[in-house]
Amino acid sequence: MSLLTLMNVTKRFGGLVAVDKVSLEIDEGELIGIVGPNGSGKTTLFNVISGVFYPEEGTITFEGRDITHLPPYKRAPLGLGRTFQISRPFSSASVRENVAIGAMFGAVAEQKTSVDDSLGMADRYIDMVGLGAYRDKAAGALTPVEKKLMEIARALAMRPKLLLMDEAMAGMNPKDIDDMVNFIRKIRDEEKIAIVSMVEHIMRAVAGFAERVIVMHQGAKLVDGKTEEALTDPRVVEIYLGQPSDQVK
Amino acid sequence: MKNTISKYYPLIPVFIAYLIMFLIGFSVPGMWQMVALLAFYCALGQSWNIFMGMTGYVDFGYVTFIALGTYGMSLGISYLYHFEWLGIGIIFIGILLALFLASLSALLEAFIALRLRGAYFAIACIGINEGLRYFIEGAKLWGGSEGLIFSGALMQALGREVANQLTTFWADFSVFIIAALAAFLNMHYMRSKIGYALTAVREDEDAAKVMGINTTKYKTIAFLTSGLLGAGVGAMAWGLKLGYVYPGDVFVIHYTVEGIVVVLLGGAGTLMGPVVGGLIYGLSKYWLAIIMPGFQLLIFAPIIIIIIVAFPEGVIGLLKSRLRGTKYKMFIE
Repeated sequence: MSLLTLMNVTKRFGGLVAVDKVSLEIDEGELIGIVGPNGSGKTTLFNVISGVFYPEEGTITFEGRDITHLPPYKRAPLGLGRTFQISRPFSSASVRENVAIGAMFGAVAEQKTSVDDSLGMADRYIDMVGLGAYRDKAAGALTPVEKKLMEIARALAMRPKLLLMDEAMAGMNPKDIDDMVNFIRKIRDEEKIAIVSMVEHIMRAVAGFAERVIVMHQGAKLVDGKTEEALTDPRVVEIYLGQPSDQVK
Repeated sequence: MKNTISKYYPLIPVFIAYLIMFLIGFSVPGMWQMVALLAFYCALGQSWNIFMGMTGYVDFGYVTFIALGTYGMSLGISYLYHFEWLGIGIIFIGILLALFLASLSALLEAFIALRLRGAYFAIACIGINEGLRYFIEGAKLWGGSEGLIFSGALMQALGREVANQLTTFWADFSVFIIAALAAFLNMHYMRSKIGYALTAVREDEDAAKVMGINTTKYKTIAFLTSGLLGAGVGAMAWGLKLGYVYPGDVFVIHYTVEGIVVVLLGGAGTLMGPVVGGLIYGLSKYWLAIIMPGFQLLIFAPIIIIIIVAFPEGVIGLLKSRLRGTKYKMFIE
């Protein structure tokens, strides 16, 4: 049984079809990259999976349970964590409190933790992302890269089975991207969680961490396959670069 | 264990402040009325701050709870005073009625208005407040616009002496108790899951939901707590103390605004803030009315503006950031 299954999921905003009959399966421990140009429906797909929007058509199942119309706060304890495209820290709270909030409310029902345990658990994940020195700093005062790392720590503290990372590498320099790629692989190996990361156009990052790539185009799934095959698929090359010049008439 | 207790250290300065206020009022002749007024502002700010300070939602209709609390107490005394065997029990029934009316309205309001955010929430709360007032007047409910006058009933039920003691001492004293209770609950919430959940709600409600927080549940807890404490203040400081209630006197947005000013002066979301804000506001209002009767608001407005511009985080907010990293930090919240 796969971890997450989407069956013909469609999400419309008025006349705009943001996600168009997308079906996909994600297994435990998979490392998946979702790529696609701006406006191809990646973020909406994430929002539908995490429950920010409910789809008009189709079903979403998580570990065999239908979660299509489950509110987001009930999805998180099932094992669904996410980070945001533009970091959304709880700015006035310290880094430690931010991560503790993830541990306190996001964890699977039978692992519900007290405030003190959550704060202790937060320390572990803060060290894991390397923010130990900023533990007591207000989250709003972190740099953008540090905020991203803090969001990852907060999502990991929820001990998810599936982690959705929305543009984790946008706006980073090549060195930070390489660090992040290594880090994503490391947490997959250590925590054994499936990670789906969304990347707009940094192919260096996708090629680095993803074992499987899903390419979105105009709301629909265009290609779904092994990384090398997907990224060299002529249709994918076309949506990013256009047709080769000798074919343009 | 020591750890658990030390979490509550910030309550110490708050309780000391209330104790000093009480002792001054109790022992210095002629001071009781002024101290009671200050306690009213502190309790108002402290109760309002639980919801506003923790969630960031500004409830402009907060006075609804105080008004309903006043009505609860008034109804209890007005309709039950001839049951002599109830004795002092009518006061407790009055409190229960106050809490019942307030929780009913808090839950209804939470169901309708808490779905809204920002200015829409504030306006919906004002709407509910005004609607309730005109409903009571129009439907001639509970005496309609003529209100209820029950100071005579209270004397008849409990005797002149007991009634006097209740209205001149116990009504004010219980406002202190409510203020202290509000401070304790605020502290307790801050240190428990509720506080963490509401911090997340205040900063980013949508992100909070995705983190697994049932935002409606935690907002409702804070709203209900805040409303019940407000109802307690109303039942005591307005109902029992004054012995009458008119809808036009109690459903008045002005008191919500006073609560907001108290909280902002002291520091929204802080524990000590409403105490300091209540003292600054109450004292300056009291003295200005004596020194310059009639002009107090004219002078008061610029003072408030200056303080809010100079200390946008409030007096305690400023103190908190100054004390960050020192050993005094653990006593200030």
